[in-house]
Amino acid sequence: MALLRFSRDLGPVSNLLTLQEELERFLRNPAYGLGVSSAGGFPPVNIFDAGDGVAVIAEIPGIDPNSIRVSGQGSTLTIAGERRRETSTEATGYHRRERPFGEFSRSIQLPEQLDLDKAAASYEAGVLTVKVPKAEAAKPRQISVKSA
Amino acid sequence: MNEQEIVAKEKQPVEGQEKTRAGRFFMPAVDICEYKDSLKLWADVPGVKEREVEITLNGGVLTITATVSTESYEKLSPLYTEYNVGNYFRQFELNEDIDDKRINASISNGVLELTLPKSERAQPRKIEVTAR
Repeated sequence: MALLRFSRDLGPVSNLLTLQEELERFLRNPAYGLGVSSAGGFPPVNIFDAGDGVAVIAEIPGIDPNSIRVSGQGSTLTIAGERRRETSTEATGYHRRERPFGEFSRSIQLPEQLDLDKAAASYEAGVLTVKVPKAEAAKPRQISVKSA
Repeated sequence: MNEQEIVAKEKQPVEGQEKTRAGRFFMPAVDICEYKDSLKLWADVPGVKEREVEITLNGGVLTITATVSTESYEKLSPLYTEYNVGNYFRQFELNEDIDDKRINASISNGVLELTLPKSERAQPRKIEVTAR
């Protein structure tokens, strides 16, 4: 898992500047708090705070929605599936082949105060959204004050 | 895993061109396949709906522009991000003679599929030899 990448063809001063930038990026990277497995894996994910829970959004274009497997265990959310190439028979040749295909599986460690049992997933225009609400116990609650 | 595992690719921003409309533009990954009588192009444009795609063919240059609505992100604040969300733009110079009136485009699950039929002139033709 490559966390830091440096370009080698820069002078010593810009190297230092790059190092500083990379370190800042590294320290700001909240992946250490959330625990995403194999950062840079497929599909790339974005995680948002939606107020009443979190939204995990992943770009997985060109896949049958029924073949995406979203599962939760403990506080780990797993997104798995397979992306297949469109069957193209009698083609005489490829000019470009840039799109990725194959199997994928990613696990994301979510904070404890979420209720994975109530998670809901939707897939639209090649974008998977998994909404995980906050657990009842983690919601703010009003405590009434009684007069003695 | 017994099958090939997918490797994620970082989105490539479009460079060297500036748009009047603000917003980030990325180059969609494409596959282009040649058939006897047509070319087929698939582009990964996750987040794009059918109304948001514009395809033009002008002077042998095919231009694909797709915009992504970011409305759904307005109430969300990022906790962890691995990719950027933005519009898509890509241009291709077509060597083949394409019949622009018969170009067909469709979009499904964030994949744009274009069929570019070769014009009659560009198609291979068998010339019958007759005996005299």
